[in-house]
Amino acid sequence: MEPYTGTINSGGAKPEIKIDELTSERVKFILTNTDLSMANALRRIMIAEVATIAIDMVEFELNTSVLADEFIAHRLGLIPLDSTEAEKIKYSRECSCQGACKECSVELNLHVKCTEEDTTKDVTSRDLVSNDPRVTPIQDGLKDPGILIAKLRKGQEIKVKCIAKKGVAKEHAKWSPCAAVAFEYDPFNKLRHAHYWIEDDEKKEWPASKNAEKDFPPGDDEVFDFTAKPNRFYFEVETIGSMKPEDIVMNAFKKLLEKISSVQMGLTTNDVNAINREPPREF
Amino acid sequence: MESVELMETENSEAEQEPPTPEIIIDDILDFKTDKGTIPDPRSVTFTIIGEDHTLGNALRYTIMLNPEVEYCGYSIPHPSEEKLNLRIQTTENITAIEALSKGLEDLRTMCDYIKEKFIKTNLKFDKKASQDEN
Repeated sequence: MEPYTGTINSGGAKPEIKIDELTSERVKFILTNTDLSMANALRRIMIAEVATIAIDMVEFELNTSVLADEFIAHRLGLIPLDSTEAEKIKYSRECSCQGACKECSVELNLHVKCTEEDTTKDVTSRDLVSNDPRVTPIQDGLKDPGILIAKLRKGQEIKVKCIAKKGVAKEHAKWSPCAAVAFEYDPFNKLRHAHYWIEDDEKKEWPASKNAEKDFPPGDDEVFDFTAKPNRFYFEVETIGSMKPEDIVMNAFKKLLEKISSVQMGLTTNDVNAINREPPREF
Repeated sequence: MESVELMETENSEAEQEPPTPEIIIDDILDFKTDKGTIPDPRSVTFTIIGEDHTLGNALRYTIMLNPEVEYCGYSIPHPSEEKLNLRIQTTENITAIEALSKGLEDLRTMCDYIKEKFIKTNLKFDKKASQDEN
């Protein structure tokens, strides 16, 4: 009996990736010749399991602004921090320290007081001072005014210490590196996975998506192929700025490989093989 | 001196150790032989802690590609438990554990292959873009 060699080795069409657009904020690519489950795993990991750095603890020393402490703490948490070096920072649960240290956290300080007479003072992400040059609030050039955190009246002051930690969006959405991941297959609905609500004319009421230009339209008298499976997946990954879009995709692959490894480890270290050795139970 | 107040941003108090992936053999079909009832290594349910649809569905796909596998399905018994049940039934040529490790190996090969494809395409794309600029 010939041993089964696996998907990639057993001939047939191999997976392909074609990048259509790559800018500092988005990457568009087409993944072909693979299964929906594989494409979906990639999509799910990019959304929820690529690690980034975000503010996780805020120590208030002074807050005389009109906003409540927890309100400001929440806003600070949502500020994107440069996470290109996130791999080099440990998860605090994996760190040997108690609480927070340089290995597993970054400290950012914010101290702003309004002294202006007639106008309010904006507290923005640019006022955050990081103790680690690798992890700073993202900034799009010198003209970028930063992200508004609060507004202060004369005499009001905010002084806080923030601890940023590494995490994944599965725990809190603030750790997600993506603003959006667009995912589509079969734009002409040849597989009939979608059921359209139609008033009069399907083509008028459901215009084809942009990806339809890159797909193969059905023939006029094409018969429905009920054995067909999706094998062309259109992705568009948009970053929030904490990571380059291509890095999000790369880290997603790495994360998937890590997941496979940890299950393989569990399978070998576990005494699962014991069931093969278990003696027959007598009755 | 102002009093120092410690505040955590939303949800961080719920920070808990994510369950480390571990495999439990949950349910093995017993079958009768002339020597008594023995567990059948060819039909096994594995419980993987800390995994979800992300790995479950892709793993199900690669295991099902194996012609020695008669049945493979997965389920998440409850959405608030980080738990994945994976059922594998095989022909007499291999055991369910062998099918699972084969499936994992195949998934790794596939993922590695696509990753390499992405790296290559990315490099090529960068070159092309910079050429266009010049």
